[in-house]
Amino acid sequence: MNSRFFFYFCLILCLSIVYLPPIYLLLISFNENIQPGIPSLGDLSLKWYFKMLSQKRLITSLNQSIKVASITCIISSVVAFFSALAYLEYRNFRSKWFLFIIFSMFVPGVIQGLSLSVIFKIVEIKPSAMTIVGGHLLWTLPFAFTIILTNLSNINKNIILASRDLGANYLITLRKIVIPLIFPGIISSFIFSFLLSFNEYNRAVYLVGRYNTFPIYMFGSMNAGTSPTVYAMGGSTLILSFVAIFFIIYLTKKKNK
Amino acid sequence: MYQYLRNNYTLLLLSSPSIVILFSLSIIPLILILVWSFWTWDPITYWIKPILTLNSYFDIFSTGRIEVLIRTLVLSFIASTTCLIIGFPAAYCIHFIIKGRLSIILLMLFTIPFLTSHLIRTFSWRLILGRTGLINNLLMSNNLVDEPIEWLLFSDFAVGVGLIASYLPFVIFPLLLSFRKVDENYLRASSDLGANLFRTIYSVVIPLSMPGLFAGYMFVFAMCMGSSTEVQLLGGAAASMLTIMINDVMRVVNFPLAFSISTFSIIVLFILLIIGNRFFKFDSLFKDFSW
Amino acid sequence: MKSEKKGFLYSNHNRRELLKTSAALGGLLGVSSLLGYNTAFGATKEINFWASATLDIEDSWSRLKDDLGIEGIFTDNGNDPGPIVTRMIVGNANDIYDVLGLQGGSEKELAVNNAISPWDTSKIPNYDKVWQAAKDIPYLYHDGKQFGLPSVINADSMIYLEDKVGTIDSYGAIFDPKLKGKTGMEDAWINSAIFTAIYLKESENWPIDQPGNLTEDELGMVMEFLIKHKKDGQFRTFWNGWEQGVQLVANEEVWVMTGWEPIVYAARDRGINAKYAVPKEGWEGWGNNTLLSRGAVERGLGDLAHEFANWLLDGFYGCSIGEMRGYAVPTDKNIEYATSHSGEFDVEKVSNLLNHVKEKFGGKVYWQNTRPDNFQLYEEWWQKLRNA
Repeated sequence: MNSRFFFYFCLILCLSIVYLPPIYLLLISFNENIQPGIPSLGDLSLKWYFKMLSQKRLITSLNQSIKVASITCIISSVVAFFSALAYLEYRNFRSKWFLFIIFSMFVPGVIQGLSLSVIFKIVEIKPSAMTIVGGHLLWTLPFAFTIILTNLSNINKNIILASRDLGANYLITLRKIVIPLIFPGIISSFIFSFLLSFNEYNRAVYLVGRYNTFPIYMFGSMNAGTSPTVYAMGGSTLILSFVAIFFIIYLTKKKNK
Repeated sequence: MYQYLRNNYTLLLLSSPSIVILFSLSIIPLILILVWSFWTWDPITYWIKPILTLNSYFDIFSTGRIEVLIRTLVLSFIASTTCLIIGFPAAYCIHFIIKGRLSIILLMLFTIPFLTSHLIRTFSWRLILGRTGLINNLLMSNNLVDEPIEWLLFSDFAVGVGLIASYLPFVIFPLLLSFRKVDENYLRASSDLGANLFRTIYSVVIPLSMPGLFAGYMFVFAMCMGSSTEVQLLGGAAASMLTIMINDVMRVVNFPLAFSISTFSIIVLFILLIIGNRFFKFDSLFKDFSW
Repeated sequence: MKSEKKGFLYSNHNRRELLKTSAALGGLLGVSSLLGYNTAFGATKEINFWASATLDIEDSWSRLKDDLGIEGIFTDNGNDPGPIVTRMIVGNANDIYDVLGLQGGSEKELAVNNAISPWDTSKIPNYDKVWQAAKDIPYLYHDGKQFGLPSVINADSMIYLEDKVGTIDSYGAIFDPKLKGKTGMEDAWINSAIFTAIYLKESENWPIDQPGNLTEDELGMVMEFLIKHKKDGQFRTFWNGWEQGVQLVANEEVWVMTGWEPIVYAARDRGINAKYAVPKEGWEGWGNNTLLSRGAVERGLGDLAHEFANWLLDGFYGCSIGEMRGYAVPTDKNIEYATSHSGEFDVEKVSNLLNHVKEKFGGKVYWQNTRPDNFQLYEEWWQKLRNA
């Protein structure tokens, strides 16, 4: 089936493009030498992985990023969910509401971070993890909103009408029909917001307190030169994630038996 | 009457969180920036003084800054379109051809690279596209070329590759989400009526998954517009994008200019967004939706 | 119902499993992050040093605690004067950081905006031993007061691969048509403009007065020269950041480029025969200085900061920086320290490094200036270069 081949080809192409750097990174991280390159069999070593565990600042910045990203993804998904529902309630102002929410996606990150930090300074809010969350929220909210909205459009309106006919009010319809149906969308928006916030550099740079976030740490280490522990860092996240996936597959396979 | 009131109350409750957040964190600071963009730079204090002027806006057109904005726009368009062109079949494959648990796994696979640092991933492209990099090594060792291909790295091509590699999954996710709306039965019906695969896609799948297409395109476009790492690491000598330009300007504390560039680009993008919204009619996708 | 085909999340059971595992992971992360922030409450004296990563001695900061009982907390400031200055003046940096370390030149604007406070050198006994050449750097002072203390000084030229290009002794190599597409410069007008100006002044005899502080016309000439070469494809790329610079040399993407000396050491560590040029036109001198934030004084940490600054000039820091990064703190106390602590540091290496730097400053050196008079014009020209 020729056409099927085309689709598979595109899928493989996409996977390759996205994975070529991380896989290369993974291979490099096992190279004992300082100069990054694919290790020959003699160069294989876990040296950088062990060293990585002692890089205190790396771990702290990672912690900070995870903390900020977790808070951001929860707040952003919840607020996005409400805003998506509000979108549906607005009959006439839908365009305007949509543009209002989407707007901050198109503001250059540096400017958003800078202006926000100035405002914080004026109202005397001390920089902390929460100020970073504030900046990241502006970035993730439009994405989460769009995703949940996209998912909402999948709901067949007849189902809603049917539930109405059966006497359910707004809240019950919401709880029993809508949320289960758009659950993938909500999960997606959690994941999206987390990833976006985890990788965000520009907005955080003006808002950080004493602890830099992970992208800021990475940027600094690129400028200062640290050992290839950064490759080990990337490699270990990859390995851990793969392990997690296999774990989940194993769990669900067992249950399905 | 009660219905209307109840509707409004619900509406108020639902919209208030985002209104509060966006207003305080986004709109108010931006108004500040807008106001400041009209002030003049004070060489004595290295800050700005409230003497209103349009100079900073004129400067946008004088020192070739518009070119950077245009270049960023063009690059973002190309990257987003390419992502969509190769992402759509991939997403189609995942959702309609593979299905099941494997498709969830593939989805997760696309997510994982984002847990590594964006900077390192982009940097790795240098090691792949470079003169002594992976691709050139393969080509040279198989005697396909005599000398390393120079334009693979430090060129617009490399920047494009970097952008696509960084943001491709952001096109795939919304597509997958909106593919759920396409019932298997529609596809079967369409092929029963004699349409081949591509016709089906064109007439059935694409219209139904329009929100996903638009969302994905918008995501990648916004992210490309705000990107700076790809150009810095993979671009040619002193190549420039919008964010880099703003950083440059702020480095010389020419704040009014930085603010006016930002305001100007926000307006341009917003206009593009409105045009895109009209064209793709995002809101019309929900026209028949009510409860 | 086609729920099995559509994905395992549709099944309630699988969904609950997923939620359980994610909740467990989330809880684990939460607990670990709380533990990670176990900062000591109580009377530990702390100094927050916000500086370029080149000033970091990493684990050795614990020595500060041993010597003076002060906890030294280092945060990387990204080395970009733009955001640093912005954050100091309008941002929150004054609330968080006590002492700064960054490239010289921004002292004036920070002082004028009252973002930093002057040092009182009478409280810094080690300051006497600092080299006179370092004390004489003009931009440390403003309005009669001293705002910057020299921490690191060095003089830059070019890195080159000897196997490919032989011995280089002139900046002309960067612009040599025979090396088209094989050269690079730093993506910063601060360095690249002055290097080009030094070359044009010395070797081509263009009418340039001070390469570090070009007038409008001189700047135009210099930048046009650079733009022409960029259009000709002379440069492979402009590099930005340590790792990029080292990679360019180590991967042989460029054969000659202007840059920092430690790049040579790093390249050699990776097995590349890189050399640092001794250019006949002269070196580009630069310095990283320590500044005292106004916030620190307001928080009552002024004296502590002076103790800290004194410790930086005490010898251990200088030897550590020299060993780790190949940079020199401009004081002879380093040699004194290495001599009395010969177990920790190699006296010969330390004095070699210091002499090497001193030698460079004995020759022709043009000082870098992050804030030349026309600095905004510099940026405009650099933008034109970018667009070319």
